[in-house]
Amino acid sequence: MLGRILAIAHNTFREAVRDRVLYNLVLFVLLLTGAAIFIGELSGGQERKIIVDLGLSAMLLFGVFIAIFVGVGLVYKEIERRTVYSIFSKPVGRGEFIVGKYLGLCLTLLVNVIVMGAGVSLALVYVSRGWDPMIPGIWPAVLLIYVELMILTGVTLLFSSFSSPALSALLTFFVFIIGHFSADLKSLASSMGSAGARWLFTGLYYLVPNLSNYSFITPAAHGRTPEPAFVMAAIVYALIYITVILAAATLVFSKRNFK
Amino acid sequence: MTKDESLSGYNDRAKTIGLLAIVAFGLITAALLAGWIDTRRPAADPNVVDESLYLKGQTARRLSLSFSGLAADWYWMRSLQYVGGKIVNMPENVVFDNLEQLNLKLLPSLLDTATTLDPEFFQPYEYAAAVLPAVDVNEAIRIVQKGSAANPSNWRLYQHLGYLYWQKQDYKSAAEAYGNGAQIPGAPQWMQAMKARMLADGGSRSTAREIYLRMYEQSTDNNIRTMARHHVFQIDAADQLEVLQKVLVEFQTRNGRCTSGWKELQSELRTLQMPIGYFGQCQQLNIWQPEPRFVCQYISPLNGATGSNRYYHRHLNKYDALQ
Repeated sequence: MLGRILAIAHNTFREAVRDRVLYNLVLFVLLLTGAAIFIGELSGGQERKIIVDLGLSAMLLFGVFIAIFVGVGLVYKEIERRTVYSIFSKPVGRGEFIVGKYLGLCLTLLVNVIVMGAGVSLALVYVSRGWDPMIPGIWPAVLLIYVELMILTGVTLLFSSFSSPALSALLTFFVFIIGHFSADLKSLASSMGSAGARWLFTGLYYLVPNLSNYSFITPAAHGRTPEPAFVMAAIVYALIYITVILAAATLVFSKRNFK
Repeated sequence: MTKDESLSGYNDRAKTIGLLAIVAFGLITAALLAGWIDTRRPAADPNVVDESLYLKGQTARRLSLSFSGLAADWYWMRSLQYVGGKIVNMPENVVFDNLEQLNLKLLPSLLDTATTLDPEFFQPYEYAAAVLPAVDVNEAIRIVQKGSAANPSNWRLYQHLGYLYWQKQDYKSAAEAYGNGAQIPGAPQWMQAMKARMLADGGSRSTAREIYLRMYEQSTDNNIRTMARHHVFQIDAADQLEVLQKVLVEFQTRNGRCTSGWKELQSELRTLQMPIGYFGQCQQLNIWQPEPRFVCQYISPLNGATGSNRYYHRHLNKYDALQ
C-alpha cells in the first residue's frame, strides 16, 4: 500500500515540476533580492525585520496559492483526462489515491518552502554583511508556515473531491480567511445572546482549522521563537486535522462512480 | 532545406520581429502617454493627500490575517515617506524635533496603525516620542503608553514617556515614568537617578542635557541621535555663553569699556578652562571665533540681554555647518 501511495505522490510531484509550479521561486528570489538591496533606504534601519516579514509573508502567500490552485486540479484533472479510470483499473484504492496526491503536493510545497527559507536566510546574510543571529529563529516560523500549508492542501483536496475547481478554490480561500479569525469566532460565540447562535459559532470554531496557531511571522521578525511544546502541539493538532480531512475526502471520493 | 521550409522560417522570423516591435512600440507609447497624463493632472489638494486613513489600526490588524507584521512595515515606511516628503517640499531647513510647520496631521494615525499591527515594533514608538510632540504631544504620550503596555519589559519606552512628560513640563508624571522604567530588570541605574532629578530639578538645563545625552546614547535611529546631539550642543553652547558673558561683564566693569578682542581675555579664559562638550567638540572659542565686541555689545547683561537669542542661533548655525 505504501509503495502505491509513494508512486502516486512521486508522480504528482513530477507533474507539478512539469507544470512549472516551482517557477514561483524565481519571482520570490527577485522580490527578496530587490527588497534586500533597496529596502534599507526606505525602512529607517529596519531592513532585517522587513526582510523577514516580507520573506515569510511571501512564502505563506505563494504557498497558499500553490496549495489552492494546484490542489484543486489534482483530482479534477485526473477525472477530466479520464486517467482516473486507468488508475482505478489497477489495484489502487481511493484512499491511496487521495493520500498519494496529497503527499505529492506536500512534497512540492516542502521544496518550495525550504528554498524560500534559504532565500530569506541569504537575504539576511546580505543585509547584515555576515551571519545574522535571526537566521536560526526564522526556521520554526518556516516550519509552522509549512504545517499551515499542509492543512490547506488537505482542505483543498476535500473540496475538490466533490466540487468544481473554481468552487473548491473559493471555499478553501474562505477556510484560510476564517481559519485566521478563529479567536474572533470564539469571542463571538461567548458574546452571543441566543443559545443557538452560541452553539453555531462554537461549532464553527472547532470545525474550521485554527490557522492563527501557525502565524509566527511577526514574532520571528523580532527574533522571537515559539516554545518547542507549542510547536509540537501545533503539529499534532495539524496531523489530527489532516487525518480527519483526508478520511472525509476519501469517504466522499469513494462514493463517486468511475465505472 | 527546401524552398518551402526556408520561406516558412523567414515568415516565422518576420512574425517574431513584428510582434516584438509591437510590444516595444506599445510599451514606449504607453510610458510616454502616462508621462503626458501626469503633466496634465491637476495638482493634488493637500486636504485630500492628508485624508484620514480608511482603516483604523484594529480593523487593519484583523484584515491583515498572518501578514500583520508586513502591514506594520508598510505603515512604518509610509510614515517615513510622509514626513520625508513634507521635509523635501519645504523651502527651508527644518529641525527634526520641531516639525510643526509641516502640518503632519496624518502622522499620528500612521504610527498608531503601525504599532497596533505590530505592538512589538519599537521604532515607531521611538519616532512618535521624537517627532509627534510637535504635532500632538498627547497623542505621542498615548502611543508610547500603548507601547509600554504591550512591551512591559522594555524600559526604553518609559524613558521616552518620561521625555514626553518632561516636554509638557509635567515633571511629576515624568518622574513616575522614569521610576516605573527603573524597576524593569535590565534598566540602567540612571533611570532611577532621572526620577529623582525630575522631582528635584525638572526644569533645569542640566536635566535637559542629561535627557538628550541618554537619548543619544540609547537610540539606534540616526535622525533621533542627530536631534539629541543638536540639543546637547545647544545646551552646551548656552552654558558656555553664560561663562563668556560673565567674563565680559567683569572686564567691562573693571575697565569701563568693552573688550577689543579675545587676547585681552586670554588669562581669564585660561583660568576658567572652558569646558569641552560631551561630543569632544573644541571650546567654542576655537570654532566659531566670535567677535568679543559683538558679544559684549549684544549679549552682555549690562547692555541688555536681548541679543542673546540671535547670537546663540548664529553660533548654532556655524556649528551645524561644521558637522
